[in-house]
Amino acid sequence: MSFCLETYLQQSDDYKFLANQAGFKDCAMIIRFKSDEIINVKPGQEVLGVRLIGIPPIPIGIKDDGKRVLIPYTKPCHGTSVIELPIDEEEIEKIRKLA
Amino acid sequence: MKKALILLGCPEVPSQTPMAIYASYKLSKLGYDVSIAANPAATKLVTVSDPENYYVKNLIDLDNCLNDVGEGDFDLLVGFVHKDAAASFFVTFYHILQTKSLALVFEKDPELLKEYVDIVEENTDAEIVAVRAFHNPTPIRVRFDKALERL
Repeated sequence: MSFCLETYLQQSDDYKFLANQAGFKDCAMIIRFKSDEIINVKPGQEVLGVRLIGIPPIPIGIKDDGKRVLIPYTKPCHGTSVIELPIDEEEIEKIRKLA
Repeated sequence: MKKALILLGCPEVPSQTPMAIYASYKLSKLGYDVSIAANPAATKLVTVSDPENYYVKNLIDLDNCLNDVGEGDFDLLVGFVHKDAAASFFVTFYHILQTKSLALVFEKDPELLKEYVDIVEENTDAEIVAVRAFHNPTPIRVRFDKALERL
């Protein structure tokens, strides 16, 4: 079964917000600054089960030897957040194929 | 029949709901089959404002719309851009739909207004209507009407 970010955020506590209710550009900068590797994707592409909202190119950050991912997450009333959560190699490969 | 999608942002800006209903009315008059995509909070305001769906025939959940929509599904995208997140949503829908697009950019702070215009201008080829506005929908309505004449 493929990963779904929204379900994961409801059912797990192994994630953290590195930014909350911020602007997209600031969140993109945080992701670029705090990650070991960046994979750029296009707006609307599906990553971790959600279509990503943002300004192109949307950075997806990989850190801790590929064990954790940083992604932007935007809601109309709450702005953009940066979420850090665990990821497995299979999901990283799916993201790489989007780039 | 041509199809138009009106994309709503956060409903805390007072002029959004009346302009959404007005835009739905105007586009219907121009022969468009109009859908409005909104989050639950914005949906409630539209539903209460048009209880018998006189002006708004098709109101769809923003998340469902985002998941389901694809290139070519609509002939026109009209987006309300009055927050950073709304600009991000508009740019994203523009890239997904790849269709003729109109951004209604409004803000009371001129610096933020310019920032949102820049985001839309740098990342899309959309027609942009930009005006300082918050409570009063009239400046947006006047410019929207002129933009429709150009489309």
